[in-house]
Amino acid sequence: MTILDLSRWQLGLALLLVVVVAVISLRARLGLERDLLVGTIRTIVQLYLVGLILAAVFSAARWYWVLLILVVMAAVATHAAVSRLAKPIPGVYWIAAAALTISTAATLAYVIGVVVRPTPWWEPQYVIPIAGMILGNSMTSAALAGDRLQADLFTRRDEIEARLALGFSGREAVQPLVRSALRAAMIPTVNGMMTVGVVQLPGMMTGQILAGASPLTAIRYQIVVVFMLAVATALGSLLFVRLAVGKYLTPAHQLRRYLL
Amino acid sequence: MPDSIFQVEHLRLTYPARRGQPAATILDDISVDVARGGALVLVGPSGSGKSSLLRCLNRLEEPSAGVVRFDGRPIAGLDPRELRRRAALVQQTAVLFEGTVRENLMVRAPGVTLNASESRLRETLGEVGLDAALLDRDAAMLSGGEKQRVTIARALLRAPQALLLDEPTSALDPPNAALVVETICRLRDARGLSIVAVTHAPELVRRLGGALLYLVKGHVQPADERLQDFLAGMHP
Repeated sequence: MTILDLSRWQLGLALLLVVVVAVISLRARLGLERDLLVGTIRTIVQLYLVGLILAAVFSAARWYWVLLILVVMAAVATHAAVSRLAKPIPGVYWIAAAALTISTAATLAYVIGVVVRPTPWWEPQYVIPIAGMILGNSMTSAALAGDRLQADLFTRRDEIEARLALGFSGREAVQPLVRSALRAAMIPTVNGMMTVGVVQLPGMMTGQILAGASPLTAIRYQIVVVFMLAVATALGSLLFVRLAVGKYLTPAHQLRRYLL
Repeated sequence: MPDSIFQVEHLRLTYPARRGQPAATILDDISVDVARGGALVLVGPSGSGKSSLLRCLNRLEEPSAGVVRFDGRPIAGLDPRELRRRAALVQQTAVLFEGTVRENLMVRAPGVTLNASESRLRETLGEVGLDAALLDRDAAMLSGGEKQRVTIARALLRAPQALLLDEPTSALDPPNAALVVETICRLRDARGLSIVAVTHAPELVRRLGGALLYLVKGHVQPADERLQDFLAGMHP
Protein backbone atom coordinates (compact mmCIF):
# COMPACT_ATOMS: atom_id res chain seq x y z
CA MET A 1 0.00 0.00 0.00
CA THR A 2 1.20 3.50 -0.76
CA ILE A 3 0.37 6.85 0.78
CA LEU A 4 -1.57 9.27 -1.39
CA ASP A 5 0.29 12.57 -1.05
CA LEU A 6 -2.04 15.56 -0.86
CA SER A 7 -1.26 18.39 -3.25
CA ARG A 8 -1.70 22.06 -2.30
CA TRP A 9 -4.64 22.11 -4.65
CA GLN A 10 -6.27 19.33 -2.66
CA LEU A 11 -5.59 21.23 0.61
CA GLY A 12 -7.32 24.21 -0.99
CA LEU A 13 -10.37 22.03 -1.64
CA ALA A 14 -10.38 21.04 2.06
CA LEU A 15 -10.47 24.74 2.88
CA LEU A 16 -13.96 24.82 1.33
CA LEU A 17 -15.14 22.86 4.39
CA VAL A 18 -14.21 25.81 6.59
CA VAL A 19 -16.16 28.08 4.25
CA VAL A 20 -19.24 25.98 5.01
CA VAL A 21 -18.67 26.61 8.73
CA ALA A 22 -18.27 30.34 8.05
CA VAL A 23 -21.55 30.41 6.12
CA ILE A 24 -23.34 28.64 8.98
CA SER A 25 -21.85 31.11 11.45
CA LEU A 26 -22.95 34.09 9.32
CA ARG A 27 -26.48 32.86 8.66
CA ALA A 28 -27.13 31.77 12.25
CA ARG A 29 -25.38 34.95 13.49
CA LEU A 30 -23.03 32.98 15.76
CA GLY A 31 -20.37 35.70 15.50
CA LEU A 32 -17.62 33.10 15.15
CA GLU A 33 -16.25 34.23 11.75
CA ARG A 34 -13.30 36.14 13.17
CA ASP A 35 -12.20 33.31 15.48
CA LEU A 36 -12.76 30.86 12.66
CA LEU A 37 -10.49 32.87 10.36
CA VAL A 38 -7.76 33.14 13.01
CA GLY A 39 -8.18 29.44 13.83
CA THR A 40 -7.87 28.44 10.19
CA ILE A 41 -4.72 30.48 9.67
CA ARG A 42 -3.19 29.19 12.90
CA THR A 43 -3.98 25.60 11.96
CA ILE A 44 -2.18 25.97 8.64
CA VAL A 45 0.81 27.97 9.96
CA GLN A 46 1.34 25.94 13.14
CA LEU A 47 1.09 22.58 11.44
CA TYR A 48 3.39 23.65 8.56
CA LEU A 49 5.95 24.88 11.09
CA VAL A 50 5.72 21.67 13.10
CA GLY A 51 6.02 19.65 9.90
CA LEU A 52 9.14 21.54 8.84
CA ILE A 53 10.75 21.23 12.28
CA LEU A 54 9.93 17.53 12.56
CA ALA A 55 11.24 16.87 9.05
CA ALA A 56 14.49 18.62 9.99
CA VAL A 57 14.83 16.71 13.27
CA PHE A 58 14.05 13.39 11.59
CA SER A 59 16.72 13.93 8.92
CA ALA A 60 19.31 15.36 11.37
CA ALA A 61 18.86 12.22 13.52
CA ARG A 62 20.55 13.51 16.70
CA TRP A 63 19.35 12.66 20.22
CA TYR A 64 19.83 16.22 21.49
CA TRP A 65 17.45 17.63 18.90
CA VAL A 66 14.83 15.14 20.05
CA LEU A 67 15.43 16.15 23.66
CA LEU A 68 15.09 19.82 22.78
CA ILE A 69 11.75 19.18 21.07
CA LEU A 70 10.54 17.29 24.16
CA VAL A 71 11.57 20.16 26.47
CA VAL A 72 9.73 22.72 24.31
CA MET A 73 6.65 20.49 24.24
CA ALA A 74 6.74 20.11 28.04
CA ALA A 75 7.06 23.89 28.50
CA VAL A 76 4.08 24.58 26.26
CA ALA A 77 2.02 21.87 28.00
CA THR A 78 2.94 23.33 31.42
CA HIS A 79 1.81 26.77 30.37
CA ALA A 80 -1.43 25.42 28.94
CA ALA A 81 -2.24 23.38 32.06
CA VAL A 82 -1.61 26.36 34.35
CA SER A 83 -3.43 28.95 32.26
CA ARG A 84 -6.73 27.07 32.64
CA LEU A 85 -6.77 27.51 36.43
CA ALA A 86 -9.44 29.92 37.67
CA LYS A 87 -7.22 31.38 40.42
CA PRO A 88 -3.43 31.52 40.77
CA ILE A 89 -1.69 29.04 43.07
CA PRO A 90 1.73 30.15 44.33
CA GLY A 91 4.52 28.31 42.53
CA VAL A 92 2.05 26.56 40.26
CA TYR A 93 4.40 26.69 37.26
CA TRP A 94 6.97 24.56 39.03
CA ILE A 95 4.29 22.22 40.30
CA ALA A 96 2.84 21.70 36.82
CA ALA A 97 6.30 21.39 35.25
CA ALA A 98 7.32 18.75 37.81
CA ALA A 99 4.05 16.82 37.49
CA LEU A 100 4.10 16.79 33.68
CA THR A 101 7.83 16.10 33.33
CA ILE A 102 7.91 13.26 35.85
CA SER A 103 4.71 11.59 34.64
CA THR A 104 5.77 11.90 30.98
CA ALA A 105 9.35 10.78 31.53
CA ALA A 106 8.29 7.72 33.54
CA THR A 107 5.61 6.66 31.05
CA LEU A 108 7.79 7.36 28.03
CA ALA A 109 10.74 5.46 29.49
CA TYR A 110 8.61 2.37 29.96
CA VAL A 111 6.83 2.52 26.62
CA ILE A 112 9.97 3.26 24.58
CA GLY A 113 12.54 1.36 26.62
CA VAL A 114 10.53 -1.73 27.54
CA VAL A 115 7.53 -2.07 25.22
CA VAL A 116 8.32 -0.63 21.76
CA ARG A 117 12.18 -0.68 21.86
CA PRO A 118 13.07 1.20 18.66
CA THR A 119 16.72 1.46 17.54
CA PRO A 120 18.21 3.86 18.37
CA TRP A 121 16.12 4.34 21.53
CA TRP A 122 15.66 8.06 20.77
CA GLU A 123 14.34 7.38 17.24
CA PRO A 124 12.31 10.60 16.68
CA GLN A 125 9.67 8.86 14.57
CA TYR A 126 8.58 6.97 17.71
CA VAL A 127 9.67 9.17 20.61
CA ILE A 128 8.18 12.50 19.52
CA PRO A 129 4.62 11.44 18.67
CA ILE A 130 4.39 9.12 21.67
CA ALA A 131 5.75 11.78 24.04
CA GLY A 132 3.27 14.24 22.55
CA MET A 133 0.32 12.00 23.28
CA ILE A 134 1.52 11.35 26.84
CA LEU A 135 2.12 15.04 27.53
CA GLY A 136 -1.25 16.02 26.09
CA ASN A 137 -3.08 13.60 28.37
CA SER A 138 -1.03 14.49 31.45
CA MET A 139 -1.71 18.14 30.76
CA THR A 140 -5.45 17.69 30.40
CA SER A 141 -5.72 15.52 33.48
CA ALA A 142 -3.61 17.89 35.61
CA ALA A 143 -5.76 20.81 34.49
CA LEU A 144 -9.01 18.91 35.17
CA ALA A 145 -7.80 17.79 38.59
CA GLY A 146 -6.51 21.25 39.47
CA ASP A 147 -9.75 22.88 38.42
CA ARG A 148 -11.82 20.48 40.49
CA LEU A 149 -9.51 20.78 43.49
CA GLN A 150 -9.70 24.58 43.46
CA ALA A 151 -13.48 24.63 43.15
CA ASP A 152 -13.87 22.06 45.94
CA LEU A 153 -11.42 23.80 48.28
CA PHE A 154 -13.61 26.88 48.04
CA THR A 155 -17.05 25.29 48.31
CA ARG A 156 -16.02 22.71 50.93
CA ARG A 157 -13.79 24.97 53.07
CA ASP A 158 -16.07 24.68 56.12
CA GLU A 159 -15.99 20.90 55.83
CA ILE A 160 -12.17 20.95 55.72
CA GLU A 161 -12.00 23.19 58.76
CA ALA A 162 -14.54 21.00 60.55
CA ARG A 163 -12.10 18.10 60.15
CA LEU A 164 -9.17 20.24 61.23
CA ALA A 165 -11.15 21.34 64.29
CA LEU A 166 -11.72 17.65 65.12
CA GLY A 167 -7.97 17.05 65.20
CA PHE A 168 -7.29 15.89 61.64
CA SER A 169 -3.97 16.79 60.02
CA GLY A 170 -4.10 19.10 57.01
CA ARG A 171 -3.49 16.24 54.56
CA GLU A 172 -6.13 14.09 56.24
CA ALA A 173 -8.64 16.94 56.18
CA VAL A 174 -8.33 17.46 52.40
CA GLN A 175 -8.10 13.76 51.49
CA PRO A 176 -11.74 13.47 50.30
CA LEU A 177 -11.18 16.47 48.01
CA VAL A 178 -7.97 15.01 46.62
CA ARG A 179 -9.86 11.83 45.87
CA SER A 180 -12.69 13.56 44.02
CA ALA A 181 -10.22 15.69 42.03
CA LEU A 182 -8.36 12.55 40.92
CA ARG A 183 -11.60 10.83 40.02
CA ALA A 184 -12.71 13.84 37.98
CA ALA A 185 -9.41 13.75 36.10
CA MET A 186 -9.42 10.01 35.45
CA ILE A 187 -13.06 9.27 34.69
CA PRO A 188 -12.91 10.51 31.04
CA THR A 189 -9.92 8.24 30.37
CA VAL A 190 -11.47 5.20 32.03
CA ASN A 191 -14.77 5.81 30.23
CA GLY A 192 -12.84 6.21 26.98
CA MET A 193 -11.39 2.72 27.49
CA MET A 194 -14.95 1.31 27.49
CA THR A 195 -15.86 2.61 24.03
CA VAL A 196 -12.50 2.83 22.25
CA GLY A 197 -12.80 1.69 18.67
CA VAL A 198 -16.55 1.23 18.94
CA VAL A 199 -17.76 4.82 18.85
CA GLN A 200 -14.86 6.16 16.81
CA LEU A 201 -11.46 5.01 15.72
CA PRO A 202 -8.69 6.64 17.74
CA GLY A 203 -6.71 9.32 15.90
CA MET A 204 -3.40 7.51 16.00
CA MET A 205 -4.89 4.29 14.69
CA THR A 206 -6.69 6.20 11.95
CA GLY A 207 -3.41 7.85 11.02
CA GLN A 208 -1.55 4.57 10.83
CA ILE A 209 -4.23 2.98 8.68
CA LEU A 210 -4.25 6.00 6.34
CA ALA A 211 -0.46 5.74 6.17
CA GLY A 212 -0.78 2.19 4.92
CA ALA A 213 -0.31 0.10 8.05
CA SER A 214 -2.39 -3.02 8.44
CA PRO A 215 -5.32 -2.55 10.86
CA LEU A 216 -3.89 -5.42 12.91
CA THR A 217 -0.61 -3.56 13.39
CA ALA A 218 -2.50 -0.35 14.08
CA ILE A 219 -4.65 -1.85 16.85
CA ARG A 220 -1.58 -3.24 18.62
CA TYR A 221 -0.11 0.23 18.79
CA GLN A 222 -3.47 1.61 19.82
CA ILE A 223 -3.75 -0.85 22.70
CA VAL A 224 -0.32 0.24 23.95
CA VAL A 225 -1.37 3.87 23.55
CA VAL A 226 -4.62 3.44 25.51
CA PHE A 227 -2.81 1.83 28.46
CA MET A 228 0.00 4.36 28.25
CA LEU A 229 -2.43 7.28 28.31
CA ALA A 230 -4.26 5.80 31.27
CA VAL A 231 -1.10 5.76 33.35
CA ALA A 232 -0.05 9.21 32.10
CA THR A 233 -3.43 10.57 33.18
CA ALA A 234 -3.20 8.97 36.60
CA LEU A 235 0.40 10.01 37.27
CA GLY A 236 -0.04 13.56 35.93
CA SER A 237 -3.14 14.32 38.00
CA LEU A 238 -1.83 12.55 41.11
CA LEU A 239 1.46 14.45 41.15
CA PHE A 240 -0.19 17.77 40.35
CA VAL A 241 -2.91 17.48 43.00
CA ARG A 242 -0.57 16.20 45.70
CA LEU A 243 1.86 19.05 45.13
CA ALA A 244 -0.81 21.73 44.61
CA VAL A 245 -2.88 20.88 47.67
CA GLY A 246 0.20 21.36 49.83
CA LYS A 247 0.21 25.04 48.85
CA TYR A 248 -3.17 25.46 50.55
CA LEU A 249 -2.01 23.93 53.84
CA THR A 250 0.48 25.06 56.47
CA PRO A 251 2.73 22.91 58.67
CA ALA A 252 0.42 23.83 61.57
CA HIS A 253 -2.49 22.07 59.80
CA GLN A 254 -4.22 25.27 58.71
CA LEU A 255 -6.12 26.01 55.51
CA ARG A 256 -4.78 29.13 53.78
CA ARG A 257 -8.21 30.70 53.27
CA TYR A 258 -6.84 33.81 51.60
CA LEU A 259 -5.73 31.67 48.63
CA LEU A 260 -9.25 30.39 47.97
CA MET B 1 -2.89 25.95 87.65
CA PRO B 2 -3.36 29.34 85.97
CA ASP B 3 -6.85 30.72 86.36
CA SER B 4 -7.01 31.74 82.74
CA ILE B 5 -7.76 29.13 80.10
CA PHE B 6 -6.86 31.56 77.30
CA GLN B 7 -4.51 34.52 77.50
CA VAL B 8 -4.22 36.65 74.39
CA GLU B 9 -1.42 39.22 74.32
CA HIS B 10 -0.99 41.90 71.65
CA LEU B 11 -2.39 39.64 68.97
CA ARG B 12 -2.14 40.83 65.39
CA LEU B 13 -3.45 39.10 62.28
CA THR B 14 -2.70 40.30 58.76
CA TYR B 15 -3.31 38.75 55.40
CA PRO B 16 -0.51 39.16 52.85
CA ALA B 17 -1.05 41.27 49.74
CA ARG B 18 -2.49 39.28 46.86
CA ARG B 19 -2.87 39.98 43.19
CA GLY B 20 -5.02 43.10 43.04
CA GLN B 21 -5.58 43.23 46.80
CA PRO B 22 -3.41 45.12 49.31
CA ALA B 23 -2.30 43.49 52.57
CA ALA B 24 -5.16 43.55 55.08
CA THR B 25 -5.01 43.93 58.85
CA ILE B 26 -7.75 41.75 60.31
CA LEU B 27 -6.90 42.09 64.02
CA ASP B 28 -4.64 44.65 65.68
CA ASP B 29 -3.16 44.59 69.19
CA ILE B 30 -5.80 42.42 70.85
CA SER B 31 -5.22 41.49 74.50
CA VAL B 32 -7.82 39.58 76.48
CA ASP B 33 -8.09 36.79 79.07
CA VAL B 34 -10.69 34.07 79.36
CA ALA B 35 -11.16 32.80 82.90
CA ARG B 36 -11.13 29.04 83.43
CA GLY B 37 -14.75 27.94 83.48
CA GLY B 38 -15.75 31.45 82.44
CA ALA B 39 -17.16 32.94 79.29
CA LEU B 40 -16.09 35.58 76.82
CA VAL B 41 -18.54 36.90 74.27
CA LEU B 42 -17.21 38.60 71.14
CA VAL B 43 -19.52 41.20 69.66
CA GLY B 44 -19.20 43.75 66.91
CA PRO B 45 -20.37 44.52 63.40
CA SER B 46 -19.72 41.98 60.67
CA GLY B 47 -16.19 42.13 59.31
CA SER B 48 -14.85 43.30 62.67
CA GLY B 49 -12.63 40.23 63.10
CA LYS B 50 -14.66 38.34 65.73
CA SER B 51 -14.54 34.99 63.94
CA SER B 52 -10.87 35.48 63.06
CA LEU B 53 -10.04 36.04 66.74
CA LEU B 54 -11.96 32.89 67.63
CA ARG B 55 -10.04 30.97 64.95
CA CYS B 56 -6.73 32.25 66.34
CA LEU B 57 -7.59 30.58 69.66
CA ASN B 58 -7.53 27.06 68.18
CA ARG B 59 -4.94 28.08 65.61
CA LEU B 60 -7.01 27.69 62.49
CA GLU B 61 -5.52 31.12 61.80
CA GLU B 62 -1.86 31.91 62.38
CA PRO B 63 -1.36 35.22 64.23
CA SER B 64 1.18 37.52 62.57
CA ALA B 65 2.34 38.80 65.96
CA GLY B 66 1.51 38.39 69.64
CA VAL B 67 0.96 35.34 71.81
CA VAL B 68 -2.00 33.11 72.57
CA ARG B 69 -1.67 30.89 75.65
CA PHE B 70 -3.91 27.92 76.30
CA ASP B 71 -3.84 26.49 79.80
CA GLY B 72 -0.72 28.56 80.50
CA ARG B 73 1.28 27.42 77.44
CA PRO B 74 1.82 29.33 74.19
CA ILE B 75 -0.22 27.53 71.54
CA ALA B 76 2.60 27.89 69.01
CA GLY B 77 4.38 25.19 71.04
CA LEU B 78 1.42 22.79 71.12
CA ASP B 79 0.44 20.24 68.49
CA PRO B 80 -2.42 22.05 66.73
CA ARG B 81 -4.38 18.79 66.48
CA GLU B 82 -4.23 18.25 70.23
CA LEU B 83 -5.09 21.91 70.89
CA ARG B 84 -8.16 21.64 68.64
CA ARG B 85 -9.43 18.58 70.49
CA ARG B 86 -9.10 20.42 73.80
CA ALA B 87 -10.55 23.70 72.48
CA ALA B 88 -13.41 22.50 70.29
CA LEU B 89 -14.89 24.71 67.60
CA VAL B 90 -18.60 24.80 66.79
CA GLN B 91 -19.11 26.44 63.41
CA GLN B 92 -21.88 28.76 62.30
CA THR B 93 -23.33 26.18 59.95
CA ALA B 94 -23.20 22.66 61.32
CA VAL B 95 -20.91 20.49 59.19
CA LEU B 96 -22.01 16.87 59.24
CA PHE B 97 -20.36 14.28 57.04
CA GLU B 98 -22.05 11.64 54.94
CA GLY B 99 -23.42 8.83 57.06
CA THR B 100 -25.39 8.29 60.23
CA VAL B 101 -25.34 10.34 63.42
CA ARG B 102 -23.28 7.55 65.00
CA GLU B 103 -20.70 7.73 62.21
CA ASN B 104 -20.56 11.49 62.59
CA LEU B 105 -20.01 11.31 66.33
CA MET B 106 -17.21 8.77 65.84
CA VAL B 107 -15.41 10.66 63.06
CA ARG B 108 -11.72 10.79 63.90
CA ALA B 109 -8.36 11.15 62.28
CA PRO B 110 -6.66 7.90 61.20
CA GLY B 111 -4.72 6.39 64.08
CA VAL B 112 -6.46 8.45 66.78
CA THR B 113 -8.37 6.59 69.46
CA LEU B 114 -11.68 7.81 70.78
CA ASN B 115 -13.58 6.48 73.75
CA ALA B 116 -16.94 6.05 72.05
CA SER B 117 -18.70 3.13 73.67
CA GLU B 118 -22.40 2.74 72.97
CA SER B 119 -23.29 4.02 76.43
CA ARG B 120 -21.04 7.05 76.05
CA LEU B 121 -22.58 7.92 72.68
CA ARG B 122 -26.09 7.72 74.16
CA GLU B 123 -25.06 9.69 77.22
CA THR B 124 -23.45 12.43 75.14
CA LEU B 125 -26.48 12.74 72.86
CA GLY B 126 -28.55 13.04 76.02
CA GLU B 127 -26.28 15.85 77.22
CA VAL B 128 -27.16 17.92 74.16
CA GLY B 129 -30.85 17.09 74.57
CA LEU B 130 -31.12 14.58 71.72
CA ASP B 131 -32.75 11.18 71.81
CA ALA B 132 -30.44 8.17 71.49
CA ALA B 133 -32.83 6.86 68.82
CA LEU B 134 -31.19 9.37 66.46
CA LEU B 135 -27.90 7.44 66.50
CA ASP B 136 -28.70 5.41 63.43
CA ARG B 137 -30.53 8.19 61.57
CA ASP B 138 -28.98 9.58 58.37
CA ALA B 139 -27.33 12.82 59.51
CA ALA B 140 -28.52 14.64 56.38
CA MET B 141 -32.16 14.14 57.48
CA LEU B 142 -31.84 16.05 60.77
CA SER B 143 -33.22 19.54 61.36
CA GLY B 144 -30.79 22.48 61.58
CA GLY B 145 -31.02 22.57 65.37
CA GLU B 146 -30.47 18.83 65.69
CA LYS B 147 -27.45 19.04 63.39
CA GLN B 148 -25.90 21.82 65.45
CA ARG B 149 -26.43 19.81 68.65
CA VAL B 150 -24.85 16.73 67.01
CA THR B 151 -21.76 18.82 66.22
CA ILE B 152 -21.65 19.93 69.87
CA ALA B 153 -21.96 16.29 70.98
CA ARG B 154 -19.16 15.35 68.56
CA ALA B 155 -16.94 17.97 70.19
CA LEU B 156 -17.89 16.78 73.70
CA LEU B 157 -16.80 13.22 72.93
CA ARG B 158 -13.25 14.56 72.72
CA ALA B 159 -13.57 15.81 76.31
CA PRO B 160 -12.66 19.44 75.54
CA GLN B 161 -11.83 22.04 78.16
CA ALA B 162 -13.16 24.91 76.11
CA LEU B 163 -15.86 25.43 73.50
CA LEU B 164 -15.35 28.00 70.76
CA LEU B 165 -18.72 28.97 69.31
CA ASP B 166 -18.86 30.83 66.00
CA GLU B 167 -22.40 32.24 65.80
CA PRO B 168 -23.83 28.84 66.72
CA THR B 169 -27.46 29.97 66.50
CA SER B 170 -27.46 32.43 63.62
CA ALA B 171 -28.42 29.83 61.00
CA LEU B 172 -31.32 28.53 63.12
CA ASP B 173 -34.95 29.55 63.57
CA PRO B 174 -35.88 30.96 67.02
CA PRO B 175 -37.16 27.72 68.63
CA ASN B 176 -34.08 25.76 67.50
CA ALA B 177 -31.80 28.64 68.48
CA ALA B 178 -33.34 28.63 71.96
CA LEU B 179 -32.70 24.88 72.30
CA VAL B 180 -29.04 25.32 71.29
CA VAL B 181 -28.59 28.23 73.76
CA GLU B 182 -30.17 26.08 76.44
CA THR B 183 -27.82 23.19 75.61
CA ILE B 184 -24.69 25.35 75.69
CA CYS B 185 -25.56 26.94 79.03
CA ARG B 186 -26.42 23.60 80.60
CA LEU B 187 -23.13 22.09 79.40
CA ARG B 188 -21.14 24.99 80.72
CA ASP B 189 -22.54 24.44 84.20
CA ALA B 190 -22.43 20.63 84.11
CA ARG B 191 -18.95 20.25 82.65
CA GLY B 192 -17.32 23.46 83.87
CA LEU B 193 -16.45 24.31 80.25
CA SER B 194 -14.83 27.60 79.34
CA ILE B 195 -16.69 29.26 76.51
CA VAL B 196 -15.70 31.82 73.90
CA ALA B 197 -18.62 32.77 71.68
CA VAL B 198 -19.18 35.00 68.70
CA THR B 199 -22.85 35.78 68.70
CA HIS B 200 -25.53 38.26 67.79
CA ALA B 201 -28.10 36.50 69.95
CA PRO B 202 -28.96 38.63 73.01
CA GLU B 203 -30.32 35.57 74.77
CA LEU B 204 -26.96 33.78 74.51
CA VAL B 205 -25.08 36.93 75.60
CA ARG B 206 -27.38 37.31 78.61
CA ARG B 207 -27.34 33.64 79.62
CA LEU B 208 -23.59 33.15 79.25
CA GLY B 209 -22.79 36.25 81.28
CA GLY B 210 -19.03 36.58 81.44
CA ALA B 211 -16.98 39.24 79.76
CA LEU B 212 -17.84 41.11 76.57
CA LEU B 213 -15.25 42.09 73.99
CA TYR B 214 -16.40 44.72 71.55
CA LEU B 215 -14.49 44.64 68.26
CA VAL B 216 -14.68 47.18 65.46
CA LYS B 217 -12.47 46.83 62.38
CA GLY B 218 -10.04 44.57 64.21
CA HIS B 219 -9.62 46.83 67.26
CA VAL B 220 -10.99 46.46 70.77
CA GLN B 221 -13.42 49.27 71.54
CA PRO B 222 -14.19 50.49 75.05
CA ALA B 223 -17.56 49.24 76.28
CA ASP B 224 -19.22 52.63 76.00
CA GLU B 225 -22.70 53.70 74.96
CA ARG B 226 -22.03 52.57 71.37
CA LEU B 227 -21.78 49.01 72.67
CA GLN B 228 -25.02 49.46 74.58
CA ASP B 229 -26.62 50.70 71.36
CA PHE B 230 -25.15 47.76 69.52
CA LEU B 231 -26.51 45.27 72.04
CA ALA B 232 -29.88 47.00 72.04
CA GLY B 233 -29.96 46.88 68.25
CA MET B 234 -29.05 43.19 67.97
CA HIS B 235 -31.58 41.06 66.22
CA PRO B 236 -33.94 39.40 68.66
